Formats: sequence, structure tokens, C-alpha cells
Amino acid sequence: MSATLPPVPIRPTAWQRVQRAWIRATTAWPALRSILPFVPLLAAWWLTAALEVFPKAFFPGPADVVRTFVDLIHKGILPEYLADSVGRLAAGAAVGIALAIPLGVLIGTSRRAHTALWPVLLFFQAVGDIAWLPILLVWFGFGLTTMTFVIVYTVLFPVVLNTVLGIRSVPTDLTRAARSLGASPARVVWEVLLPGALPNIMTGLRNGLGYGWRALIAAEIIVGTSGIGFLMFDARRAGSVVEIMLGMVVLGVLWYAVDAWVLAPIERATGQRWGMVTRDR
Amino acid sequence: MKSLTLEGLQKTYYDPYKGTQVTAVRDVSLRVEPGEFVSVVGPSGCGKTTILNMIAGFLPHTGGRILVDGTPVDGPGPDRGVVFQSFALFPWKTVLDNVGFGPKMRGVPRAERDRIAREYLALAGLAHAADRYPAELSGGMQQRVGVVRALANEPDVLLMDEPFASVDAQTRLMLQEELTRIWQQRRTTVLFITHDVPEAVFLASRVVVLSKGLVLDDVPVPLPHPRRWDELVEDDAFKTLSAKVLARVRSA
Repeated sequence: MSATLPPVPIRPTAWQRVQRAWIRATTAWPALRSILPFVPLLAAWWLTAALEVFPKAFFPGPADVVRTFVDLIHKGILPEYLADSVGRLAAGAAVGIALAIPLGVLIGTSRRAHTALWPVLLFFQAVGDIAWLPILLVWFGFGLTTMTFVIVYTVLFPVVLNTVLGIRSVPTDLTRAARSLGASPARVVWEVLLPGALPNIMTGLRNGLGYGWRALIAAEIIVGTSGIGFLMFDARRAGSVVEIMLGMVVLGVLWYAVDAWVLAPIERATGQRWGMVTRDR
Repeated sequence: MKSLTLEGLQKTYYDPYKGTQVTAVRDVSLRVEPGEFVSVVGPSGCGKTTILNMIAGFLPHTGGRILVDGTPVDGPGPDRGVVFQSFALFPWKTVLDNVGFGPKMRGVPRAERDRIAREYLALAGLAHAADRYPAELSGGMQQRVGVVRALANEPDVLLMDEPFASVDAQTRLMLQEELTRIWQQRRTTVLFITHDVPEAVFLASRVVVLSKGLVLDDVPVPLPHPRRWDELVEDDAFKTLSAKVLARVRSA
């Protein structure tokens, strides 16, 4: 008498069918992954506004914000302010990165530079960006110099610290291999240390740009004459909660776009491709 | 083909925690003839990896001389190729670009170094993997690339630091056989560091036993190349030599 195994259930369970539908849908429309998580949030916002839990002037709903969005686009104010903010961030970030990576390489490769500069670096990192504003306003006044300084300052530290970390975590054998294959110390920096540190540099960049973006809005609120931060603060003066909310939404969406269209693709093409960083699924 | 000579090589370093001088390599003299394959075996802590690192120029030596073809060496250089236990492939470069790295540092143009790299990859049966990244390869394939990368730079001396210690047992046997075949074809001068006695005897034309920073014994291995495990595993001469070397290592 032979024992028979119980048959394996063939029909997928309801939950398995949901999983399958999700995988199919997100494969067909990858944007769903970005949009769907916001649906409950939007629904809650809409419901709270529609039920008028708070007075309408203090808590406008999504539809009001969209209307204001369209209105400000039509007037040309939003595109102009957006361009100003993004332009300032880009310029500040470019200068910050151009300073930070060479500095990080220096500190990461030279023990003496590390001994001399590291404590100073930590000191100035602690004196946060906004803490510089009072003295910057005295020195440079309400203008572009002050804002650029704040962004450069904010981007600088995360990138320097992570570049140092990245360079120091490149395995010794890789630099040794390059040297014994004929690479000069300078070429080792370019061929081995920088690519080896790239995953860390990207982390620094992600942090730096995130902090920089926030610092910019703060700076625009205090010293600005244009930009998203200025828009929000100006709206407060006019008592327009709709515009403040619009500004907040724009900040979040814009950062999400930078992450999805700039940072994530770079990470996918480098560290993840090379098997140095585990990829997200 | 060039010779490698160590004359009274010594390494002491200062231990700042103990406040004493520590001797890692006491006095090692050794000559590897042009085209010779010499294995260095010894228990861990006998100084064998330190010796290799000094020859490669990764560590300064504190006494004696290191000569490649009669010329003293100083610092790392392309005349001494190194194969690492950790493979040390550049993760951000394809297999082809890893192998072409040495020629690139010499200023060989792209097309020419790709040709060289493909030729050497074919030598190790890796032609199909040229466009892959190291992380996409098995450990055994990665170390094949490591060996080929060192060879493609045409070093005078090839230094191998326990290169097969971190691959699985079956792959190791295959890599050892491949290495004897490639060495027999190209006759590079090789210094091979290992703690594995059968491996040392199988590969080398001479086995140097090291202990406490000194050369304890020097055993010639007069077996024909290329060598195959299925032939040697029951071979009396091989077994006798292995037993002899093992006895010396254990007495160390």
C-alpha cells in the first residue's frame, strides 16, 4: 500500500491574487508605485476639508490648492519662483560639491590632513546653516550671496564626511592591485578611490541636497525676494493658507522628482550595477 | 623572464601598544630562477605574507635587499604582478577593463588593450565573460580574472598570495591545474605563498618551508608539468614529497 501525498492546492489565495495584480500593474505602469501611497493621504485631507472640521480659510482642501496652483502658473509667479529656488539650489550644490569632493579626497587619503582638519570640520558642522544667517546678514545683507553661502555650507559637510568615509572604506587590496599594475598615486585616486567611494558620495549628496533644499527655503523665508520659501512667507502675510499649502506640496513633490529622476538613476547605474550596494526590489 | 632574489631580507616593526620591536621576518635569503615556480609554505605567523608584501612593495623592508633581475626594487611596480587572496578586482570595471587595466596604465590605446585583454581571457577560458562585472561571476571565475589581469601586464615576476584559499574545494583543484598549464605555456617566474602543503608541492618546481621568519628547508619537486590531480593523487613521488614537506612544516 503506497501512501499518497495530499494534493498541492492549485488555486491561488485571494492575497496571492492581490500580490500578482500589484506586480503586474506596477510593471506595466511604474508610476503607480510613486502615486498609490499618496492616495490614502489625499483622501484623508480631502475628507477633513470637505467635512469642514476646521474653518475653510485655515484648512483648504486639495481642490483649492490645485485651483491656486493653476492660477499661479497662469500668472507666471510659480514657474518664476520655482526656477529661482531650483537655480539657487543647483548653483549652491555645484559649488558645494566642487569643494567637498576634493576636500574629502584629501582628508581621506592623508593622515596629516585628517588630523589637522577633522576636528575643525566637526566644529563647523555643528554650527548649522541657519546659525550662520545672523552674521551673514550683517556681512552680505539680504541677497544672493547670503543664500548661496548657506546652501554651499549645508551641502559641503555631508558630502565631505561621506567622501572621507567612502575613501577609507575602499579595501587596501584594491589600491595595492592598482599600484602593482602600474598606476601612479594620482591615478589610484581617479581609477580606484573615487569610484570605490561613489556609493558613499551618493549618500552624502542625497543628504546634502536634502539639507540644502530645506536650508534654502529657510533662507528664502528670511532674506528672500523670490522663490518658494518667499512665496509661502508672503502668503502668510496675506493670510492665504492655500498658497502656503501649495508651497509645501511643491517642496515635497520637487524633492521626490529630484530623487526619482536624478539620484536614484545614478545609484542604479553605479553602486547597484557593480554589486557594491544591494539593490532595492 | 627575470629572476627574483632576496638577500638577508628582514622586517621588524614597532608595536606602539607593547612599546617593543617585533620581528616578523628575521633573515630570509632566496633565489627564484628565471621561469621557475617556487612555493613558500609555512604555518600562519611565519612571515610569508609579510615577505610577499615587501617584494610587491606594499610594505618597506627594514633590512636586506630585494632584487628583480639584479636590480633593487623600491615601492610597487608593474614588474611584479600580484594575485590577491581577496581577488581585488575593481567592482566598477567590467572583466575586460579589469584585465586591460595594466596596459591602460602604460598608455596602451583602447583598441589595442582590449585585444590584449581578450587574448588573455581566452587563455583562461573566460572569453564569454568579458563584458560582465566581477560581482556577476563565481568566486572561481573571479580569481581566474585576477590571475589573467596580473599576467596581461606581462610582469617579470608573478607574486601569488594564497590566491585559491577562498574558493571552494572542487574549484580550487581546477584552478591549480589551470595554473600549472598556463605557467608551463608562459614560463613566468612565480612566487606562490600558501599554507596548503599539497597545493605547494602540486604547483611548484621548488618548495621553500618557512618558520618564524627563517627559511627552514628548500625542497625541489622534480615532477613533469603540466600536472593533473587525477594522475598525482596516487603518485608515489608526489606522496613522498608531500609527506616530507608536511613533516617539515609541522616541525616548524
